Amino acid sequence: MKKYFTFIILSVSVSAFAQDFDKNMATAKASYSSGNLEDARFAMEQMLRDLDVMIGKEILKMLPAKMGTLSANVADDNVTGGTGIAGLFVHRTYGVPPKMVVIDIMNNSPLISSLNALLSMPMMGMGGDPNQKQVKVQGYKSILRKNQNTETGKTDYELQVPFNNTLLTLKADDTNEAEILNFANLIPLPKIAQVAQ
Amino acid sequence: MKTKLLVVAALITALSITKLPAQSMLNKLKKTAEDNALKKLGGKTGTTTTPGNTNTNTNTDPNSNGNNSNPSNNSGGGLISTPPDVKQSLADGDVAYKAGKYGEARYSVQQAMLGVELEIGNKILKSLPSTVSGLTTQTSEDQVTSTGYGWAGLTIHREYGNGNDKEFRVTVANNAAWMSSVNMYLSSGGYAQTTGGQQNWKQTKVKGYRAIIEYSEGSGYKLSVPIGQSSLVVLEGVNFASEPDMMTAANNFDYDGIKKMLGEQ
Repeated sequence: MKKYFTFIILSVSVSAFAQDFDKNMATAKASYSSGNLEDARFAMEQMLRDLDVMIGKEILKMLPAKMGTLSANVADDNVTGGTGIAGLFVHRTYGVPPKMVVIDIMNNSPLISSLNALLSMPMMGMGGDPNQKQVKVQGYKSILRKNQNTETGKTDYELQVPFNNTLLTLKADDTNEAEILNFANLIPLPKIAQVAQ
Repeated sequence: MKTKLLVVAALITALSITKLPAQSMLNKLKKTAEDNALKKLGGKTGTTTTPGNTNTNTNTDPNSNGNNSNPSNNSGGGLISTPPDVKQSLADGDVAYKAGKYGEARYSVQQAMLGVELEIGNKILKSLPSTVSGLTTQTSEDQVTSTGYGWAGLTIHREYGNGNDKEFRVTVANNAAWMSSVNMYLSSGGYAQTTGGQQNWKQTKVKGYRAIIEYSEGSGYKLSVPIGQSSLVVLEGVNFASEPDMMTAANNFDYDGIKKMLGEQ
């Protein structure tokens, strides 16, 4: 029942965006033809934002419904489009505290270049930090960080996977390396990379 | 454990004792090798070299880049600068969107936006005065830059000069990231001006717009004029005699017109 409800909400919001996109496309074409460049530009900015949101919703559909025994908190799903600096942003959580898994996907992320530098030069920044290492997930070079939570005394992990201009971050509470890598392997990374770029 | 420490300590001492003679020996060897190489090169290319002088140009092949094997490029017309076709890009975006290819649609809309931003930029460039304070437009330096994203926005740049050392530069930036810091200066009364010592920046007004004027010994005058919500005009004057001179130059620009063309309120 909950699934149907979510599907209806998603469908309604997608069709609302579709209407906005069509309206903005018509405005952009008309404004450009009449020489009103600024209005054309504004309509295009809106279109880019709408497209980011549409792409984000496509990505949400690709994410698994469960991470191990943890179910997705679909009601907390979040997609933002921003025509820019951090462009598309997709957020999903699984489980409840104290055991949660969080997926964040950012397009045009400013973090990408620094992460890629780390990945292409393994000696840089890696050697000195025993809580950080490179791993491969579905063929993608990634950075895995271990965090000792001082409040709970438990170990949290964070995995960052950069592809093209997109960054996927997977965080898991109270876990171990094998479990977070299992979680990561449930995410269809190549498909997300294809849609997000 | 102790034995290991003793061995390490002995090694460090031995190295520090032998460091100086070993270094001088290495330096001697290096110098001899350099001198020999220079003598050989001098003989081969017909140039004479004096010991110690390593600035001799021994490159006799105009096509050589020093590697003697790969020719360097000395012809070619560069890339053709073609702004994207806005109408075509929009049509492509529409088709891709209807086919559910959102990534493709986004690329096409970005291209369309790039085209429109470049047109806006060129329109603003045309509206700028052709001379400022006796300095003429350096057409080759005219520049419009757009990312097609809308956030790092659009930058328009022009330079004026007289062939001597006096120069005036104007940069119009739309959706510029540095806008916030300039507006912070202007809106915060806490940034008081100093009355003692050298005054290097102050608030001023240009054609009714609040602005900040700065002076630096190295780069001259700089006037930042925020216009509208997200645009900034930066004027830089090199070797301008005084602040009034700089302000006279700044008054040549139609800020209202630029603001309107950028669609600012």
